[in-house]
Amino acid sequence: MPVPDLHFETLHGTRIVASPTTLDAVTWPPGTSAMRFAPDDVFVLTTENIGVSGEHVIVAAEAGISGAWLSAEQLAHVAEHIDWPLPVDRPTLAQGFIAAVPAKLFLTGTSTASDGGDNVALLLTNTPYVDELRERLR
Amino acid sequence: MSKIVVDGQPIDFFDGDSVALAVLRAGQHPHHGGTLCLAGDCPNCVCEVDGTAFVRTCQTPARPGLVVRRHPEIGAPPLRTIAQPDVTRTPVAAHVSVRRTEADLVVIGSGESGLAAAARATDDGRSVLILDAGDGNEVVAIYGGPTVIVRRPDAMVHVHADDVVVATGAAELHPVCPGNELIGLVTARAAQQMVAAGIELGVAVAVGTAPAGADCTAVSGTLVRIEGSNGHVTGVVTSDGAFRCDTVVLGLGLAPRDMLSRMSGEQLPVTAVGPAAEKFALPPCPIEGVVCPCSKVTIQDLQGVWDRGFNELELVKRASLCGTGTCQGGVCGPYLRSFVADRSGSDPEPFTARPASRQITLAEASADVHTDVFRRSPLHDEHLGLGAQMDRFGSWWRPWNYGDVVAEYWAVREAVSLGDVSTLGKLLVSGPDVVELLERLYPTTIDDIKVGRSRYVLLLNERGHLIDDGMVLRETATRFVLTFTSGGAANAEMWVRDWIETWGLDVHVLDQTMSLAAINVTGPLASTLLQRVGLAEPPSFLQHLRADVAGVPNHVMRLSFTGEASFELHHAADRSVELWRALMAAGHDLGIAPHGLQALFGLRLEKGHVIVGMDSEMDSTPRRLNMDWAVKMSKPDFLGRTALARTNSMPDERRLFGFTIEGNAPMEGSPITVTDPSDVAGSEPYIAGHVSSSWTSPLLGHGVMLGWLKRKPWPDHVTIDGRVATVAEPPFYDPEGRRARA
Repeated sequence: MPVPDLHFETLHGTRIVASPTTLDAVTWPPGTSAMRFAPDDVFVLTTENIGVSGEHVIVAAEAGISGAWLSAEQLAHVAEHIDWPLPVDRPTLAQGFIAAVPAKLFLTGTSTASDGGDNVALLLTNTPYVDELRERLR
Repeated sequence: MSKIVVDGQPIDFFDGDSVALAVLRAGQHPHHGGTLCLAGDCPNCVCEVDGTAFVRTCQTPARPGLVVRRHPEIGAPPLRTIAQPDVTRTPVAAHVSVRRTEADLVVIGSGESGLAAAARATDDGRSVLILDAGDGNEVVAIYGGPTVIVRRPDAMVHVHADDVVVATGAAELHPVCPGNELIGLVTARAAQQMVAAGIELGVAVAVGTAPAGADCTAVSGTLVRIEGSNGHVTGVVTSDGAFRCDTVVLGLGLAPRDMLSRMSGEQLPVTAVGPAAEKFALPPCPIEGVVCPCSKVTIQDLQGVWDRGFNELELVKRASLCGTGTCQGGVCGPYLRSFVADRSGSDPEPFTARPASRQITLAEASADVHTDVFRRSPLHDEHLGLGAQMDRFGSWWRPWNYGDVVAEYWAVREAVSLGDVSTLGKLLVSGPDVVELLERLYPTTIDDIKVGRSRYVLLLNERGHLIDDGMVLRETATRFVLTFTSGGAANAEMWVRDWIETWGLDVHVLDQTMSLAAINVTGPLASTLLQRVGLAEPPSFLQHLRADVAGVPNHVMRLSFTGEASFELHHAADRSVELWRALMAAGHDLGIAPHGLQALFGLRLEKGHVIVGMDSEMDSTPRRLNMDWAVKMSKPDFLGRTALARTNSMPDERRLFGFTIEGNAPMEGSPITVTDPSDVAGSEPYIAGHVSSSWTSPLLGHGVMLGWLKRKPWPDHVTIDGRVATVAEPPFYDPEGRRARA
């Protein structure tokens, strides 16, 4: 199924590394997407100060991750390159190889795109992988 | 009537015809002779179809305009090649997509036994997927999982299943006797297909079990030979007599079609059922004739390898190639077994089957299979724009040079140069136990590193072997930045995280390797350049600070790998192009030029700096690398300390040395030859080691090298590339390190 090139953009956000209990207790600002990369690692799609602090907590601006919003049709195409079962829960973050490139899928289930389109998922990867991933998904 | 084109000649076909049936209907043979099974078991109908070689035409539906070319009678069809002007790019190939699906049970084959197995599973509430080649779902492999690989006309399908049932039935035996490569031989089932399709068999006789519905005369006796003229059958001789005919119909028995179940081995939940699981009697051992029609292996060939000592089935197969061809033993397998049984006295099990069971194209085999992904730094396009030759190092695309490595070298030594070091590993570690972590992790002291200072460190494993190196930079009392080599960064991150967990320490880790870019500003005019772009007070050697450079927030680290004053600028990846361009513009009148890895490798070699994995080996201790200075054995504990304490007291003949040589440096990997000075005159020189790094120094005017000597006595002179080289202690350039600290 041919699909148009995926449009990746740098996702300007914030990485927060803290104890899982600290992160569990955080209430993210309304409308903010927070993706838990690991129990102690969250990527928040905002560059605003979100009030998580502590002497040892790591809060760092993140500009090394790119993302492309996917329609249902595009997600189906991307899924052809995924050798692991997609989770059924929504919203959820799934992580693994996509076309042998380390990547993540933030499955929203409903549109969260800023343009109000019919996007159902955000495909994320580290920016150094973007060109190769885009090429492989053609 | 529609037509296909066979070897340039149009041939009519009927609806429902396979290509093979259409060719037979035209009175021709799809190959050059041999028994036809029309069931996909043999190689005797394979042709090139629409440009794809080794296609089973009996399994290929005819369609208008289909182009068929017979393979050569002997040898393989010529390979088609595609010019690849740039092998560093992803090759453009025929696109075959992969679809993935799941089922509780996969049943391969929709015959009686397959449908029965499917019905039972359905009754048990299991999801069942039936795959049959006749429906366009040709199973070509079963891998661990189990994962069933299916070839469809439109895609490859990977089915993940809990269980697999192989219900592929049984194949008919082909004859092995003189004349078995003639045109006019068909199996009993093939004869039935031909008759059903309205194809005349001519005067036909049946040897063995005669097929129902086919107009042929059954003859008695066992098959002796087939007679022919001009490549066509003219008669058959059995033990009971000779019979004139145009076609010999062969009902010689069956063999299980069990390749897929043999492929899966016993460890996978794959079960053969029905005829595919039956133990049919082996055919009698042939006396004469071609056993393997794919590779033209005769019974005499088998005897030849047997006589040379290949006395097991797998060995006979490998030595004779019988069973390694197109049909993968579908025709010859039973006869090969009967041959070995006859010669050895015991019936061997069938040989191992391996994917793929059918010829698949390279595009099908590689569908959605990719090479390792190589990352591109944020400056990738800048490098290309500057004419860089890119190459792969440490899982990144990196500039090897920009067209003039010597000019790049001199820019570093005499002016100022930029290097893209975005690929370096970068971990931010923070927590109450972080000092304890780093003290245990590194063989040098950590707690005495002051805030704003940094230290070069080795990373050792438990055996005291070097696995990586880098810098430790202190940001606060409980927060550090760790850097690692580009190639070692991924392992180093896992290494750090594993030990945090193992030791139960309270330390947070953020891997910023791909979040931060880094530019190395190096050369005697580096400070001048940085001052021009707003860094009024660049840090002194081994200091680091946070500051804006050309308006871009940076973590500025003062260190040196090139031997000149160097400042690594670590910054947000999305600002890297902006910073690079600003530096290049500001340094124009200073003679600024970027340098690639080729120049960097030479620059650091002049300083004697080791590259982990290039100069070091899997078991290189600091002592072997002459880097004991980076190890504080006075520390009570660190990873590798116990091993180092033991091995340091033992004799060790391995050592990394520096060498100089007149003229150009020999290639890396060159053997180092030594004549033992303690040997009596006339003793032969021996290879004592190899060159790990080499560089012809523009400044020094001769070659410099690092290399291993692995035998004592360590000599003062060695021979490399047929020339005398002198053992010399690095660094070869600025041994006092004044330029780096300037």
